[in-house]
Amino acid sequence: MIAGLLFLGLLLFLPGCGLLPIGPLTQSPDVPATAMVAGVPFFAQDELQCGPAALAMALNWSGVAVQPSDLSPEVYSPGLKGSLQNSLIGSARRHGRVAYPITGSEALLAEVAAGRPVIVLVNLSFSWYPKWHYAVVIGFDQPQGEVLLHSGLTAREILSSRTFMNLWQRSEYWGLLVLPPDQLPVGSDEVAWLSAVAGLELAGQWQAAETGYASALKRWETSFAAWMGLGNSRYSLHDLDGSAEAFHQATLLQPDNGLAFNNLAHVLAEQGKREAAQVAAQRAVDLGGPYLETFRQTLEELKLK
Amino acid sequence: MFKKILKPVSLLLVCSFLLLDLSVQTANAQLVDTNSVIAVQQEEVNRERVAAFLGREDVQQVMVQQGVDIAEAQKRVASLSDAELAKMANSMDQLPAGASGVGAVVGAVVFIFVVLLITDLLGLTHVFPFVHAQR
Repeated sequence: MIAGLLFLGLLLFLPGCGLLPIGPLTQSPDVPATAMVAGVPFFAQDELQCGPAALAMALNWSGVAVQPSDLSPEVYSPGLKGSLQNSLIGSARRHGRVAYPITGSEALLAEVAAGRPVIVLVNLSFSWYPKWHYAVVIGFDQPQGEVLLHSGLTAREILSSRTFMNLWQRSEYWGLLVLPPDQLPVGSDEVAWLSAVAGLELAGQWQAAETGYASALKRWETSFAAWMGLGNSRYSLHDLDGSAEAFHQATLLQPDNGLAFNNLAHVLAEQGKREAAQVAAQRAVDLGGPYLETFRQTLEELKLK
Repeated sequence: MFKKILKPVSLLLVCSFLLLDLSVQTANAQLVDTNSVIAVQQEEVNRERVAAFLGREDVQQVMVQQGVDIAEAQKRVASLSDAELAKMANSMDQLPAGASGVGAVVGAVVFIFVVLLITDLLGLTHVFPFVHAQR
């Protein structure tokens, strides 16, 4: 018994176990003190299926009608008795939605205040007896010190901010937004957004990817990678004119970058513009860079045609 | 006997090498995908391409070991970028897999039960749904 108490005492003072008052969540000044996301359906999870349930809630909010049982084959790993973060990300992409990871309470509150649910990974217990769990944050009340979540079997569960932060810090404050491709996050960073959209390409969701790049260009007009992505996705959607236009814009933005000329050359060739294609391919080879070998192949192929 | 089969076999070999060579060429002469464009801009290209080449196979294999069927594991891996896989490959055995939150502590000793009950009350943990932490 005494040993037990000693152990408990020790436990409470271990660093990272945070009996230290964490206080209310930190937030940026322009975020309101309370917020609630409307239109997030609740799905009670089956045993071990919090990943599919949380993802289904976020996907349904974003306009994709799916049940947790549809998602389980895409995210759940039987051997782990759980779902990996990257499996959630990949699955969201396969349903044409942008998976955008965030960290920390400022980002969390800003997104919730902007009307977006956030999937969070928490450890309900300690690292020596972990109980990893996904839940969906749908609201907060800073004056009351409360966070509102759809979690497990409980819709609209209220947790004290302090408890929530204790649980959430164990995943290093990992959160995930599941967004329609025309909705940029509040605090979005260009590279993070474009990487998230490029993930849609990997899942073969070209229409969603095109929308994601077009949305990026509304905020970052001179983004080279966004024009490249627009060209690539239009090419895959068989929109050759649109693709050529996008790659052309990319060459104007970075005239010394061979990547845009290489891709433009392919599209021009398919449009039957052989000479222009060869000029673009030659330009890419002259400019060089880490993809020089690819550029050379392009040029060779065009000469053979 | 040997001479008889030598000709068809060598012909077959030559053909297959030709095919091999062709497939490599067409695989390389393509549009550079957007993930690579972003990687080049981030100057991460070489490091990540190497890591990911190992990563994709590794991660897929581990997923299969974790009970995911092969076709599904391929799809999961295909929908992730090189950068995401590279990170994953390094720590496949330590990644948290969100699982439960419903079941109580089955099979745990009473001691752990009591500790977690207290820490639940203190707001450090949230293992038991029926416990509400003090503010």
